[in-house]
Amino acid sequence: MVLKTLNDLNLIVHGGPKKKLVLAAAQDQHSLGAVVKAWKENIIEPILIGDKEVIQNICASNNYDISGVRIIHEPDTDMSVEMAVRMVSSKQADILMKGKVGTSTLLKCVLNKEWGLRTGNLLSHIALFEVETYHKVIAVTDVAMNIAPNLQEKIAIVNNSVACLIKLGYSIPKIAVLGAVEMVNENMEATLHAALLSKMNQRDQIKNCIIDGPLAFDNAISLESAKHKGIKSEVAGETDLLLMPDIEVGNVLYKSLVFFAKAKVASIILGAMVPIVLTSRSDSEQAKFDSILLSAAASK
Amino acid sequence: MIRTLSQIEEKVLTLKKTYRIAVAWAQDINTIGAVYKAVNKGFIEAIMIGKSSEIIKICKKEGIGVNSFKIIDSENENQASLEAVRMAKTGEADIVMKGLVGTDRFLKAVMDKEKGIMIPNNTLSYVGVLEIPAYHKLLFITDPAVIPFPDLEQKIAMTGYAIEMARRFGVEKPKIALIGASEKMSGHFNNSVDYAIMCKMADRGQIKNCIMDGPLDIFLACDKKSIEIKGVETPVNGDADILVFPSLESCNPFYKGLMLFAKGELAGLIRGTEKPVIVMSRSESEISKYFCITLSCLMA
Repeated sequence: MVLKTLNDLNLIVHGGPKKKLVLAAAQDQHSLGAVVKAWKENIIEPILIGDKEVIQNICASNNYDISGVRIIHEPDTDMSVEMAVRMVSSKQADILMKGKVGTSTLLKCVLNKEWGLRTGNLLSHIALFEVETYHKVIAVTDVAMNIAPNLQEKIAIVNNSVACLIKLGYSIPKIAVLGAVEMVNENMEATLHAALLSKMNQRDQIKNCIIDGPLAFDNAISLESAKHKGIKSEVAGETDLLLMPDIEVGNVLYKSLVFFAKAKVASIILGAMVPIVLTSRSDSEQAKFDSILLSAAASK
Repeated sequence: MIRTLSQIEEKVLTLKKTYRIAVAWAQDINTIGAVYKAVNKGFIEAIMIGKSSEIIKICKKEGIGVNSFKIIDSENENQASLEAVRMAKTGEADIVMKGLVGTDRFLKAVMDKEKGIMIPNNTLSYVGVLEIPAYHKLLFITDPAVIPFPDLEQKIAMTGYAIEMARRFGVEKPKIALIGASEKMSGHFNNSVDYAIMCKMADRGQIKNCIMDGPLDIFLACDKKSIEIKGVETPVNGDADILVFPSLESCNPFYKGLMLFAKGELAGLIRGTEKPVIVMSRSESEISKYFCITLSCLMA
């Protein structure tokens, strides 16, 4: 199944049982709004953990109707996060979302060795974009979590992403390993990584996907550009996932797509027991909603 | 196409040229015998540099007319090597051949910064061509003699020389197997990293005129049945023309094993020099040395 728009994620979500999303430190207007909207649209069933009074006040002042929503009162931020994580690890919730708490605090709990959500995998960030000028949804990784992944980390990031895309209905996602050029250059590590990842994929050491690279951005998303350069590639023009060389170019691409190309975006953290939604205050309402939608679709 | 080592001579004869060969420290029976054979066939003029009394003695013993060669007296190995190389540098000789002098000493003269015949910035390497009754075509191998542990750049240079030689033999687009113990990428074997990079470079046309794959083991490189049994997809497909080895210590025993146990025959040449350089081991037979002479004329 090809995802043409982020809306298509609805087909996956509504095709199965409703997932439970637990919002840690829920006394947060930005995340509350998105969660309530997702609930109203039948995407998820929310569980709010945080300062009950503050939560209710925020909902009242913003007209968020939370009648019938389960709220667990825990005014201490750290405790509320621990409770939320424990709910997930004890299988009482399917998705973890961050409220009014720092990302590092939340992730520290996620990575707790006793009751956390470790799987032995690296955590990584995936963003799905809907851009008018591309014929389908395109995923980008890792634009927010891993700063300068080495080869082993890139392998983990790819594997996380492939597992997620397969859950979203992709059969054999096409992955472009991005560089500044499509030729291998000993001075450009991204191009060397690309060669190694391609060969590992050819030898079935990275499975369930087709990897090609290095590809420059234009070669990855435009078959014509690739042909113009004489590049023979199974991925060029049909990329489902862009693997970024590092966080800086990834983050720049992410924001360029949103600001210049008016792209819609949904993002989640992969590699833990369940998808994790980490929206920030600068995300649009739509982006927050779509991230919740994505987390529901990507949840087991 | 040249399909056997004997056919190299046939091809050289059609070129109707005479090549002048300077032999360093020439008082060696196999060397003299091989050179004389070529002189007789009419495509070689020989300048034998060494202990003239001993050269003459060998000629008389073998029934070779002393006038078949130009004999230049020389006091020691170093002087003889330098003189042979000098003749190549000035154009008095087209080919340089090592006689009874040790390879290291001989190559020192070849590589001399002022008086040597290295092409600036080129890699010195050795390409051999093996004729093995059990294999359906000639097999080019590198590097059994010069570079102990080639890095990526050297491997690329070695491959380039092998492609060039194969094409002179009439193989337009040789199949190259980058040899390892397994076809899998592995962190234990740095060569697999170099190999993956080279394969991508070949994909992108940075290494031209070849079909390349690796890592591959010898079975996948040279045995179609192994390909079927293992189910590995590779464009080399058990039909390799060129084998690139990760080290001298893997390539050298490979060809010696074949010569000892499988009636293999080898001809080979130093590459990276202004003029062809022949370095056969002192223990090699006359016929091997003859093949090398014909090969050097083909590549001149």
